[in-house]
Amino acid sequence: MGTSTRDLEQFLARAADGDMDAFGHLYHATSAKLFGIVLRILKNRAQSEDILQEIYVRVWEHAGDFEPGRASIITWMATIARNRAIDALRRDKRHDAVVDDFDIDQLADHDDLSVADDAERNDDLRLLEICLGGLDDDRRKMVRLAYLDGFSRAELAERFAQPVGTIKTWLHRSLKQLKECLGS
Amino acid sequence: MTDREDIDMLAAEYVLGTLDPDMRRIVDERRSHEDDLNAAIADWEKRLSPLNAHYRDEIPSRDLFPGIRARIEEARVQADNIVEIDLLKRKLARWRIGTFATGALAASLMVAVLVSDFATPVQDRQFVAVFHRDDTQPAFVMSIDLDTRAVIIRPVSATLPEGKTYQLWIASDELGPAPKSLGLLENASVPTTRSLGEFDPALLRNATFGISLEPEGGSPTGRPTGPAIHGRLIPVEH
Repeated sequence: MGTSTRDLEQFLARAADGDMDAFGHLYHATSAKLFGIVLRILKNRAQSEDILQEIYVRVWEHAGDFEPGRASIITWMATIARNRAIDALRRDKRHDAVVDDFDIDQLADHDDLSVADDAERNDDLRLLEICLGGLDDDRRKMVRLAYLDGFSRAELAERFAQPVGTIKTWLHRSLKQLKECLGS
Repeated sequence: MTDREDIDMLAAEYVLGTLDPDMRRIVDERRSHEDDLNAAIADWEKRLSPLNAHYRDEIPSRDLFPGIRARIEEARVQADNIVEIDLLKRKLARWRIGTFATGALAASLMVAVLVSDFATPVQDRQFVAVFHRDDTQPAFVMSIDLDTRAVIIRPVSATLPEGKTYQLWIASDELGPAPKSLGLLENASVPTTRSLGEFDPALLRNATFGISLEPEGGSPTGRPTGPAIHGRLIPVEH
């Protein structure tokens, strides 16, 4: 990314004080990451760009709320992005949103880690992957489809040919197992 | 299943993203006042966020940032216009005859009035401004007479937290980069009158006014602090 976490935090702090130039730097350093999140969930470029704009307006408005001790700045921004993308996805499902020609299976199984996060984050990821590896295949796929691609319970039910109630039970068991494995 | 488990699973599914829109909305609403739910959500964000590494970077269109910038500026202008002028006139009429209600004021209040971006006919010499803390309830009304250069600040729903004082400020390019103090509004229940005789009417017309909440005795730094809320100065009809 070429910009350190510390740089990003300083940009955000200055943005909180109304510094639009600093906010521009923050945007340019982080927009590819956030756009990757939104595009994978919404699978429509035009809509994703529109939502990305909303996300950055929100980041601007909430710049003063960021607490460095709680999460990394990029995690904080990614959380905002994922939440907005999922909200938009659920909202627009009702209106048959246009989906670009994406191969969902390919996206879901894609494991290329192109983002060089810091070492600590990589350790966290390694542990989470080990714990995910402890789940049954279908359940691991379910968690990943939900988190990375924004699948709802109903969509998971359709994909795995199970009643929604069963999906809910599977999800809860998987999540509890994950929590236990992560030991936190 | 215990309540605690219910909350934990609700938080987990919220973070995972599998809840339907209604449930998501309910969680959004509940987390604002349920600390345990909010903490459970933060924990699940921490647990699952390493998966963010699986998202591949995608470059958005180049022209996106100007759009974001425009939306932010637009939002600022809308914030300036929160009090519609018609509504404001009606309120003013009511305040003139009514008593001044009291209410809690946000812990840090810095309100500014931008005079310069309001086109006013030359014959209008009297202006009012509303310093408000949210969409509906003004905290102070300021009136200024450009002929006599008298400014009166009337508290509308302002209370003064203990050990604090309100301070009035003026900012203008001609006065330099920092706002200048116009003194303290010691009492939040009676109008304060200030004479701005030393300022040129043209300067006053283009100046920015602000009220900030400061420690007793006024700002220790000589500058106001806190987030700014913008209002507009409007001419009073005769």
